[in-house]
Amino acid sequence: MTLVVGFDTATDDVAVALLRFGTGSSSELVAESSTGARGDERPRHAAELLAELEAAVEPVGGWSGVDLLGVGVGPGSFTGLRIGVATARALAQALAMPVVPVATLAALARGIGERTEARGRARLAVLDARRSQAFAALHGPADEELWPPLVAMPGELAERVAALQQPPLAAGSGAIRFRDELEAAGAEVLPDADSAHRVWARQICLLAQAGRPARPETIEPIYLRPPDAELWLERDTR
Amino acid sequence: MILGGRRASGRNLILAIETSCDDTCAAVIDGGRISSNVISSQASVHERYGGVVPEVASRHHLQLVNPVVGAALSEAGVELGDLDALAVTRGPGLVGALLVGVTTAKTLAAATRKPLIGVDHLHGHVAANFLEPEPLEPPFLCLIASGGHTLLAGVVDGGGFEVLGQTLDDAAGEALDKGARLLGLGYPGGPAIERLAVAGDPESVEFPVAMARDPGLDFSFSGLKTALLYAIRKLEEGELTERRADLAASYQAAVVEQLVAKLERALEPGEWVAVALGGGVAANALLRERAGRLCAERGLRLKLVPGELCTDNAAMIASAARFLEPAPYPEYLSWDALA
Ligand SMILES: [Zn+2]
Repeated sequence: MTLVVGFDTATDDVAVALLRFGTGSSSELVAESSTGARGDERPRHAAELLAELEAAVEPVGGWSGVDLLGVGVGPGSFTGLRIGVATARALAQALAMPVVPVATLAALARGIGERTEARGRARLAVLDARRSQAFAALHGPADEELWPPLVAMPGELAERVAALQQPPLAAGSGAIRFRDELEAAGAEVLPDADSAHRVWARQICLLAQAGRPARPETIEPIYLRPPDAELWLERDTR
Repeated sequence: MILGGRRASGRNLILAIETSCDDTCAAVIDGGRISSNVISSQASVHERYGGVVPEVASRHHLQLVNPVVGAALSEAGVELGDLDALAVTRGPGLVGALLVGVTTAKTLAAATRKPLIGVDHLHGHVAANFLEPEPLEPPFLCLIASGGHTLLAGVVDGGGFEVLGQTLDDAAGEALDKGARLLGLGYPGGPAIERLAVAGDPESVEFPVAMARDPGLDFSFSGLKTALLYAIRKLEEGELTERRADLAASYQAAVVEQLVAKLERALEPGEWVAVALGGGVAANALLRERAGRLCAERGLRLKLVPGELCTDNAAMIASAARFLEPAPYPEYLSWDALA
């Protein structure tokens, strides 16, 4: 029996889950929570992540009962990701806990794959990257990664989608935001109210259990975009 | 050690983390003694931008914070489990940078069920004076001048400080950085100006002294910077190279003059037994000399905070933490940065 804690802070949500793996491939969800930002206020990652994690592990006797940690590494909000990765790295440092970094878009795609409509189809995970851009990744019918995480303008993303042989099933905050562009390119976007648009930490647990732990100090957010200052420098020296 | 009636807590072994600006710092202190003080400076990273870029600083803090904490523990020869408490800078500073330290400290403390102490960064600069060797006893006046702050503080006990004066615009070190840029010198500007000023005449160019004559204790440096800009513009072509050293010397003297004038005025009530200089600008030889002369005239002790405790560091944060109430687990779980 293996207890896996997973969490993700790449989006406005603070997603936390505790999954118990039994023999074979069976697993049981012990705890799962996802708190979103309220209204227009800034995301509450700093205030909520650690409290949610402590609440999740309390029923199993605290951290000593936990075998593995999965952390969503983005792409997504830079500040949110740093809070998540710093938390995972500190837990690893304090408790010598193995940590598996999981791409947030892979967790999102795995959730899309649980929809009946997804059978035999590719899953397109899209997050709103602000500045009118999208973070996206494409996974195949067996969850295999077809496009690694990328950042693109909605027009470029639509072109890539239009070039696919089969229309993918899409979800995520970016799929809602760029619904028109994606649907025009042939993708099917799940209805706005579908829970597959959000990142659920049980998917992080499942991918972590199937993945390989990394040395904690090597775990880094998937930023995809350089800091603005780099862009200024490049422009200045051109 | 009793400081103005407020006693340092019985907690001895404290690990502190400081990430408010561009240095990733962790330290362990045992009482007032420094067991380790690790500073990983990003100065060379930010040099190419001519200043600290918040997003760049935050990314580096995240890469460095765990190795720096690990080094602080191993240099001190202790493990997390041995600590009495952890401490962390909660503000003021760059919010994204602070969050890396706050998140790390909170999580390390929660995982080991230790208490956590949140520290104000400026209180840390003040508390650098309480560390061995030769800890300073209040009441004293503390002038902290760096690229990020210019603060004149009255210190009567270990638990805090009274703000007597602060800058209304640029910090003293920032004024030197901006002046250096106008003179075509490198970053950080303070040391560059100081090196050049040695060859110049500090009285050759007149800079406004209005603020130094102002009866309040607040500082203002933006007028000086503008005056330097005009002084440079007035020069004939090719004259700047020739006059650069004089301009640097005069500009540096004007910055130091204002700092010393306010210090002198703050000393007037006569309730202080010592003066402490901290922050990166405290390394400036002219400032040290002028403050030293002032203290000698008044029969006061001048404490020059050692170099590695002058710039941002975590030993000073741990030192301040000794005098503050720790938050027990789980009170601090929802702490945010206080930018
Ligand atoms: Zn400072």
